[in-house]
Amino acid sequence: MSEGRRARARRYPRSPAEWVAGAILYALAGISLLLLIGPSLIVIGISFTEKLYISFPPEGFTFRWYEEFLDHDQLIDSAFVSLRIALWVTALTLALGIASAFSLVRGRYRGRTALSAFMISPQMLPGMVIGIAVLFFGSAFGFYQSNPMVIIAMTVFCLPFVVRIVMARLEVLDPSIEEASANLGASRTQTFLRVTLPMILPAALAAAAFAFIEAFDNLTVALFTASPRGRPLSVELYTLVQFDSSPIVAAISSLEILLALLMVFVIGRTIGLEKI
Amino acid sequence: MNEPARPAGRRAGTGRLAEHPLVTAMVSSRGIGPAVPALVYLVVFMVIPFGLLFSFAFLTVDRGEVVPWSFSLEHFGSALGDYLFWRIAWRSFWVGALSTLVCLLLAYPVAYLYTTLGSVARKLLLVAVIAPLLTSALVRVYAWIVILGGRRGLMNTVLLELGLVDRPVRILNTDWSVLIGMTQIHLPFMILPLIAVLVARDVEIENASLNLGAGRIRTFFRVTLPLSVPGIVAGTALVFALSYTNFIIPQLLGGGNYTTLAVQVYEFVVVILDWTKGAVRASLLLASCFVFVLLIVWAGRVATRWTEARLS
Repeated sequence: MSEGRRARARRYPRSPAEWVAGAILYALAGISLLLLIGPSLIVIGISFTEKLYISFPPEGFTFRWYEEFLDHDQLIDSAFVSLRIALWVTALTLALGIASAFSLVRGRYRGRTALSAFMISPQMLPGMVIGIAVLFFGSAFGFYQSNPMVIIAMTVFCLPFVVRIVMARLEVLDPSIEEASANLGASRTQTFLRVTLPMILPAALAAAAFAFIEAFDNLTVALFTASPRGRPLSVELYTLVQFDSSPIVAAISSLEILLALLMVFVIGRTIGLEKI
Repeated sequence: MNEPARPAGRRAGTGRLAEHPLVTAMVSSRGIGPAVPALVYLVVFMVIPFGLLFSFAFLTVDRGEVVPWSFSLEHFGSALGDYLFWRIAWRSFWVGALSTLVCLLLAYPVAYLYTTLGSVARKLLLVAVIAPLLTSALVRVYAWIVILGGRRGLMNTVLLELGLVDRPVRILNTDWSVLIGMTQIHLPFMILPLIAVLVARDVEIENASLNLGAGRIRTFFRVTLPLSVPGIVAGTALVFALSYTNFIIPQLLGGGNYTTLAVQVYEFVVVILDWTKGAVRASLLLASCFVFVLLIVWAGRVATRWTEARLS
C-alpha cells in the first residue's frame, strides 16, 4: 500500500461536466472529513463549558468537569477496572497471537491457510454475539458475569488484530538476516531472541496498542459479560450517557479521544498508519 | 568480541533455559505447535460457546438453567411467525443497507483524493480516519447526542441562526439520527479498504484511457471504479455487518423504543432475561448477516465478470 504512486492526470483541460464532477468529489470528501473530525472537536469544546448542561456554543472555560471526574470515586474505580481488563487482554492476545502468527506464516503443514482464516474469523463476529455466547457458556458451568469473563470474551474479540498485524510483519521479514545470525554461530534461540523478536517488535507494539484500546473502550462485549458491581468504564459511561446530561461525560470522552490519539501515534511510529 | 562464536547461550545473556530442547523446538518450529494455544483458546471460548448459543435457541432456559430434553423448533417458529419480528428485521436491514450506501458515497471521494495527495497530507488524512476508528463508539454516539439533541443542540442553534427553520426541529430519536450516527461511526471502516485498493491500482491504465481520448468521467466509471470493486466489496460487507448488528446506536440515538433485531437481542438477554428468545434472535441475526455478506461478495464477483466481459 505504501509504494503506491501519486495519481496524476492533469494534462488535459477540463470540460464543464468534469468541473462539476470534480466539485461534487471535493464536496463529498469535505463532508466526510467534517463528519470524521467535527464531532470529536465539538465534544472537546463542550467539556470546557461553564454551563451545567450540554449546550452549544460552550460558554466560558473551566476544568471543572475534569475535576468532577477525578473526584468521582465510582467512575475512577471503573476506569481502573477497564485498565486492568485492557492490560490482561493485551497480554493474553499478544502471547497467543504472536505465537500463532509465527506458526501461520512460517509453518509448513496442511490446513495452514484454513487455520489463519479461522484465527481471523472472530473479527467478522459482532462483539455482542461473542459476549452473549461467552455469557451462556459460563453460566452453563456455573460462572456468572465477572471481570475474568470480560477478559475471556474480549480476548476472543481482540485476538484477530494481533494475529493480523504480526503476520503482516512476519511475511515481509527477510529470512536472510536470520540465516546470517545462524551462520555466525548463534543458536536458534539466540537468533530468535536477538534478531527475530527485535524485528517484529514494532508490529508487536502496534498490535498491543490496538488490542489495548479496543479492550479499554469496548462496550458491546463488556455489556453482557461484566458484573453489575465493579463495572468497566465503558459500561458505566453507557448508563451515564443515557441518564445524565452534565458535561462530565464530555470530559471523559475528551480523555478517551486523547487516549485514541496516543495510540494512533504509537501505531504511526511503529508500523505506520498505512498498515492498518 | 573477536573470539570464535560459542554455542553456549550465556554469552548472549539468554541463560540455560534458552537452550532447553523444548524452547529450541518451539522457536524453530515449522509445525502447528505455536498456534495450538490460540487454537485451543478459540475452540473453547468461541466455537463451543457459539454452539451453545445456537443450541439455546432450541432449548428452554429457565433463569440461566437449561431444562434438559426440551429440544424444540417452536421458539424459532414463534419468532418467524410473528409479524412484529419481520417488521423489526426489515428495519434492521434497511437502516443497515442505507447507511452502508451513504458510507460508500462519502468514503469513496476521500479514498480517491487520498491517492492524489503528497506524503504529509496522506499522513494527516490517515490520522483523521484512524483516530475516530480507535475512539470508543460510545464517545462518538455521545457526540451526536450533543450535536443533534435538544433545542439548544448545535444543529438547532445553527439552523435557527441561519434562519433555515423558525423553531427547533427534532432530529434526535428519529430514523435520521440513527442513520447519521451509523454512517459517521462506520465511515473509517469503508475508507480504509478503499484506500488500500486505490493506492495499489496501476495509474498508467487510467493515463492510457485519458490518452486514448476518454474523458475523466468516462475513465473513472470505465477504469477506476471497476478496478476498485474488491475494496468496495470489503468495505460494504464490513460496514453492513457492523451496522446491521449494532445495538448501541439505535438504542442511544433512536430514543428508548427504536427497536432493531440487535436491540431485541440485547433486551431479551440483559433486560427481560429470556435467554431462549435472545438466542433465537442472535442466531437469526448472525445467520442473516452472513447471508447478506455472501450476497455482497457475490454481487462484487458479478460486477467484475460483467466489466471483464465488456472489455473483451
